[in-house]
Amino acid sequence: MQALHTAATGMAAQELNVQVISNNIANLRTTGFKKQTAAFQDLIYEHVRRVGAQASDQGTILPVGVDVGGGVKTVGTPRSMTQGTLSQTGNDLDLAISGEGFFKILMPDGTYQYTRDGTFQMDNQGRVVTAQGNPVQPTITIPNNASGIAVSEQGQVSVTLPGSSTSSIIGQIGVTRFINKAGLQPVGSNLFTETPASGAPQDGTANSEGYGKLTQGSLEQANVDVVSEMSDLIAAQRAYEMNAKVISAADQMMQSTTALFR
Amino acid sequence: MQNALLIGLSRQMTLERQMDVVANNVANANTNGFKADHSLFEEFLNSNAREDNFIASDRKVSYVQDRGTFRDVGQGPMEPTNNPLDMAIDGNAFFAVQANGGERYTRDGKFSLNSTGQLVTSDGNLVLGTGGPITFQPTDHDINVAPDGTVTVLEGTARTDSIRGKIRMASFDDPAKLTKLGANLYDAGSAVIQADAKSVVRQGYIEKSNVNSVGEMSRMVEVMRSYTAIANLLQQQSDLHKSAIEKLADVPA
Repeated sequence: MQALHTAATGMAAQELNVQVISNNIANLRTTGFKKQTAAFQDLIYEHVRRVGAQASDQGTILPVGVDVGGGVKTVGTPRSMTQGTLSQTGNDLDLAISGEGFFKILMPDGTYQYTRDGTFQMDNQGRVVTAQGNPVQPTITIPNNASGIAVSEQGQVSVTLPGSSTSSIIGQIGVTRFINKAGLQPVGSNLFTETPASGAPQDGTANSEGYGKLTQGSLEQANVDVVSEMSDLIAAQRAYEMNAKVISAADQMMQSTTALFR
Repeated sequence: MQNALLIGLSRQMTLERQMDVVANNVANANTNGFKADHSLFEEFLNSNAREDNFIASDRKVSYVQDRGTFRDVGQGPMEPTNNPLDMAIDGNAFFAVQANGGERYTRDGKFSLNSTGQLVTSDGNLVLGTGGPITFQPTDHDINVAPDGTVTVLEGTARTDSIRGKIRMASFDDPAKLTKLGANLYDAGSAVIQADAKSVVRQGYIEKSNVNSVGEMSRMVEVMRSYTAIANLLQQQSDLHKSAIEKLADVPA
């Protein structure tokens, strides 16, 4: 009985749906997290009677066919790259991007990774680094006697040095764009890597030509909407239960047949 | 005497297939742009005695066979996603996509961009506009899709909209006649494709599956009960048969 297998594909799909939703909820408070949604597609159809086939010698054409589908498959878990809300922290080195772009981070192995999480700190050499200690690109080194760190909307970092009444620019934090940011691959720790689907990184200046602007002293919250996640969760759970019901109904039908002529 | 068995069998076979159709609907209750299928049955008359030697002509035996599955092409509910590349069609039209094997149609508007900036479906098939695929430039932002399908963007520092194409909405006389190919795609076959003036594109929305879960569940119960009722009928028929043979074979003392 096909229905058993069809319902099984449905249960597997809803299981993955719940997994994706629970990951979104788990990352509700993760800075710069972008939520995912599972997308499904129907499987191929068995055309028991093909529509448009000749039904008689007189040339009558079947107006409808008998198409029996084989269930559902997961096609992907696309990431919704919408802007998260900014929350003020007051920390000088907390940065948020409003609009397009990612911070570029230099990893210990020399490769670059990208993030929307702007929770930056200073390391023992005065470099601006992520919470894992990897430097933001281009590297900004803040002199140890500097005060009043300011980051402009364009990413210019300026500090006030002792004995000076004016601030001086010490570097520029870059912003990188991708033509298909949803094609980036998440690697955990709020980081993404470039893939063939994302396209090549395009380094630019914040607040220019389609690049988002930087906001100092703020962090971008996850773009997860709890209420919609909860309602999606309920919908997924009910869909799972309905598929389970189909399995038990199909099972009962088979049972009634096998119990025949005992 | 065997007719009841055969009629029961014909009905059970169609019920089994109907159950498969219901199962597929339920499995796709969360599939974007999915349209539910329903089964149709017809009576299939067959004379059990070919030669009309009897005085009164023999009664015909009425079997069941499934005539077809028809598609509920009704609008699915719209879910807001805030994603500028998610699109839903309000109306009867379909998105045209360039799939492997030719032009195909879909109601699943979960679109994204590929690495060259072209608008694609979740499978990477190109979404077709009235003038071919819709391609975005690396500096494009603020993508806006008008209800008529016109895609505009702000390019770089420009303050005025640039047009990137127009989503093509293909419409058919009878969308129920499109063949389902799986992967949310439909094949139009020889159907005439018309331009649709009534349908509108809603940006930032996804059309969900139009499967009515309550209806499917009650249909499932109905199918299951009919099936088991026929199994009972077959059992009784068989018992009758058995007792008849036993009675007839009973040698009187």
